[in-house]
Amino acid sequence: MTDMEPRENGIDSLLRRSMAVPVPSLPPDFDQRLMRELHQRSQVPDRYRRILLTGYGLISVVTSAVVMRGQGLGWGPVAVTIFGPLALVVAVPWARRATHRKMQHSDG
Amino acid sequence: MVESDSQLVARTKCGDQQAFAELVRRHSGLVFRLAVSILGREFIPEAEDVAQEVFLKVHHAIESFRSGSEFSSWIYRITFNQAVNLKARVRFRSPHADERALYRAVTTEPGPERQAETAQRDQMLAECIRTLPEVYQSALRLYYWLGAGVGEVSELLGVPENTVKSYLHRARQLVHAMLIEKGYSCD
Repeated sequence: MTDMEPRENGIDSLLRRSMAVPVPSLPPDFDQRLMRELHQRSQVPDRYRRILLTGYGLISVVTSAVVMRGQGLGWGPVAVTIFGPLALVVAVPWARRATHRKMQHSDG
Repeated sequence: MVESDSQLVARTKCGDQQAFAELVRRHSGLVFRLAVSILGREFIPEAEDVAQEVFLKVHHAIESFRSGSEFSSWIYRITFNQAVNLKARVRFRSPHADERALYRAVTTEPGPERQAETAQRDQMLAECIRTLPEVYQSALRLYYWLGAGVGEVSELLGVPENTVKSYLHRARQLVHAMLIEKGYSCD
């Protein structure tokens, strides 16, 4: 209850009376529909992102290999120079996620 | 053990959809109530759309959410802005439900004349409320229609409880003055 001046009682009860209509609520399947919508929205950009990244990755690997071989490097150093950074790109986020999960478990 | 919002946010940031689903389950009801309180009872389907859009936005922007902040305040602020923006767009569209019909349905006054009089006054009251600033309208609807306490209104609007009390006080005064000016009594 809020603090009210006596002359506010009339308008207070009028507001109560006229606003005494059913209170709406969200449909019970709201959560499921939302998660479906979220899934659909995230799928399309994800697919394009994956295609673009794969294409870019393949072109970079081939170009780098051709250039380095042209400079007289052997297949061993070429493979290390190309796949080393790629392995790091994959490993770093994975390690971060694993550390985060471990910290959460130790907090709980 | 029940996880806090910030723990769920951290898990969502790591791509855990279950954590986000839990955040939706926790906050969807209040997000919807806040949206309804801003849009009014004629635009309930739009309030549902606002609730959905808010969660899609939150999911999209969750990476930018700072862990020190309160998740609920953040989401209610997004809801408020989203609903106010939508309201500006739908203002000139015909509402889904006729407010007069809603009022007539709950009028219990005896006699058709008295009923018509009450319905007319209630309709005028609704029109007066629509002219108030957004925060006053929202506070009034949350408090009188949706049955929220001062504490809940304060949480949803992101203001201290005393400010909510002052919003309600000022809104009552303004509505009362407008009704008197239009020749209606409040008793």
